[in-house]
Amino acid sequence: MNISFIHFIELLLIVGIIVVVGIPLFGKLPRTRPFAEVDPLEEAFKHLLVRKEEVLLAIKELEIDLKTDKVSNEDYESLRQKLEGEAIIILEQIDALEKDKRKGGKSSAKNLLLA
Amino acid sequence: MNDIGEFTLMVALATSLYGAVAYVMSARGNRIDLYLSADKIPLITWACVMISSIALWKALFANDFSLQYVYAYSNIELDYFYKFSSFWGGQKGSLLFWTLLLSTYTLVVHFQNRKKSLIVVPYAMAIMLGITVFFLVLLNFSTNPFERIPLPPEDGRGLNPMLQNYWMVIHPPTLYLGYVGFTVPFAFAMAGLITKNLDDGWIRLTRKWTIVSWFFLCMGNLFGASWAYVELGWGGYWAWDPVENAAFMPLIVSTAYLHSVMIQEKKDMMKVWNMSLVLLTFVMTIFGTFITRSGLIQSVHTFDEATLGYYFLGFLFFIIAVCSVMIVWRLPLLKSKNELDSFLSREASFLFNNLLLLGIGFATFWGTIFPIISEAVRGVKITVGPPFYNQVNVPIGLALLALIGIGPVIAWRRATWSNLKKNFQKPVAVALFGGAALYPVLPLSNRSEIYTYIAFILCIFVMSTILLEFFKGTIARRDSHEATTVAALGSLIWHNKRRYGGYIVHIGVVMIYAGIAASQSYGTHIEKRVKTGDTIEINDYMLRYEKLAAVQATSVKTRIIAQLAVEKDGRRIWTARPEKEFYKGQKQPVSEVDVRSTLASDLYVILADFSEDDSATIKVYYNPMVSWLWMGGWVIALGTIVCAWPDRLEQRRRLERLKRQEIVFSPAQE
Repeated sequence: MNISFIHFIELLLIVGIIVVVGIPLFGKLPRTRPFAEVDPLEEAFKHLLVRKEEVLLAIKELEIDLKTDKVSNEDYESLRQKLEGEAIIILEQIDALEKDKRKGGKSSAKNLLLA
Repeated sequence: MNDIGEFTLMVALATSLYGAVAYVMSARGNRIDLYLSADKIPLITWACVMISSIALWKALFANDFSLQYVYAYSNIELDYFYKFSSFWGGQKGSLLFWTLLLSTYTLVVHFQNRKKSLIVVPYAMAIMLGITVFFLVLLNFSTNPFERIPLPPEDGRGLNPMLQNYWMVIHPPTLYLGYVGFTVPFAFAMAGLITKNLDDGWIRLTRKWTIVSWFFLCMGNLFGASWAYVELGWGGYWAWDPVENAAFMPLIVSTAYLHSVMIQEKKDMMKVWNMSLVLLTFVMTIFGTFITRSGLIQSVHTFDEATLGYYFLGFLFFIIAVCSVMIVWRLPLLKSKNELDSFLSREASFLFNNLLLLGIGFATFWGTIFPIISEAVRGVKITVGPPFYNQVNVPIGLALLALIGIGPVIAWRRATWSNLKKNFQKPVAVALFGGAALYPVLPLSNRSEIYTYIAFILCIFVMSTILLEFFKGTIARRDSHEATTVAALGSLIWHNKRRYGGYIVHIGVVMIYAGIAASQSYGTHIEKRVKTGDTIEINDYMLRYEKLAAVQATSVKTRIIAQLAVEKDGRRIWTARPEKEFYKGQKQPVSEVDVRSTLASDLYVILADFSEDDSATIKVYYNPMVSWLWMGGWVIALGTIVCAWPDRLEQRRRLERLKRQEIVFSPAQE
């Protein structure tokens, strides 16, 4: 290939990249923020939803373990109670958070979460 | 094209550097303009690296010996198949290939997460681009694959004959896919640490990446063993060579991580441990690269011009320092509120599994670096050979095998002795029965044979527990869903992909254990100088030496082929044709072994030497159950596919979570 043609291609490439990368920097953009501010309550809510699922899955697995003779009836009962207790606490925290968000307040949910 | 290839490498460096900085600035300042600008970088960097790669491939195919790399790793006569794989046959090309994979992964991660507006994403992208910058700095300023020769020679030196094997096309890319893949969980873990997003969000985002990278690393190790077996011609497949160890260590650490991460998902605990393991896995991949490219350790696998030691050492120390500081800094946030319900639980068995795996990892690491330390401290280079690794790793490996069997039988959270006794009765009885049946058959004259005997008993035990798991699960499902047994088995696996996919992987691991145990202890070999008509006897086989033939395969390759008739019980069952290949310009010939592989054993024939009077020295190895290793690999592949298969239920749960989250936290309600 001709050297000057190669230089031309290289120049074209650089200009192309500068234009593509530069347009967002100099063009008109909506005044939106790419990332929402990290809301500790929202993070906690997200975490609670995941924990709720995990506890419900754990109850399901416990039932399979009972059916396949891996846990005794006594262990099953006590573990199930424990998991249900965990699930209730999580559900209460989720409800409290939802109610608070509807009211627009944060304090009681925050207190509940801290507890 | 070479000029353009070299130029795009430089552009890729500039853009990835800009991208890394722009992503961080966009996240810190929450600036949409910078984010949208940085958003273009993964594609641009990938395109630039791809153009460079195409340029190098083109030079290899076009026999452009003005490039030093093409001259060193190719020649006119080289088959196109190997010209393609010469791309990663040398250090410069393999670094470019690594960068190509890394930029491809970065692009895929970008497309997967671009619409998620998660704060961890720009940081993870910045980290991946930052690592790309390191490799591009090496390619641009230290090991440029487009380095020219002022007076181009007419032909090249050619690819090392040992690398002219079909595994060369498969093994390095597979291993690299695994090595590079662990950059993704590392990047997200670091991003989690930076942004304080330390719940299991980053684990869920990278779960598939971890499984797939682990799979490629595992297959890469097995393919490497298979290649060594057929190409190096010493009758074995694993020699605890430093470079083999370098690929083995990240596999071991990532296996520990894959298990312990389940405890975090289930019980929201062991955050520090999991974070450390995922970071350590990445550190081990860089350590492996350091070993291969430093020139500090002699190995058949190291690159000829291994000169990048200081770069990788510096990078390694930088990563270790950053990871350590970040973990210590975020320690208060990584503390778990939950604890183990009982030490008699599956969680506890996973903990022991982690300790054993890390024990193997540490022993392997120590054996690998000991020669370097010894040379640095005492000026004496000590070689740490297979006896050390076998002495330490075999007992730990056996304990690990036992845990593979124990794990599935123990319940999550808490188990009781009475249930354990009940559940262990059948597998233990089967294992003891198997052990009793094997006792009169197997020799038990030395430690290795005793270990093998124990390994077989444990293999039977583990297989029994796993099959019993499938059986019990199927019966329970069949009864509760009123389905046929086959349908119940299918739906059992389909609805519990991770659990039963994991069990399938374990079946593959057991097969590998059995193959290693049998081949290491019960293998025999014989070496004999033979003339036409002479016979060699090994186990039940008789090999009759028939003739020696010379074949001019190509203008640069001459094959000397020995022909041996293999008989069993007086009947000809196979013709072995081991050979020596002579390449123009290469001093040493290459052995091409011939192997007859069955489920029971491999008959492995090597032409060690020959004379002009047609006499030859033939080495024959009888290696029991080696094929179980390779079959185990395919079973692992099947299990991994099951584990990694998209789970619709999980996707639905995720969407429901997001929907609920949006309802509660939508801007309208703010």
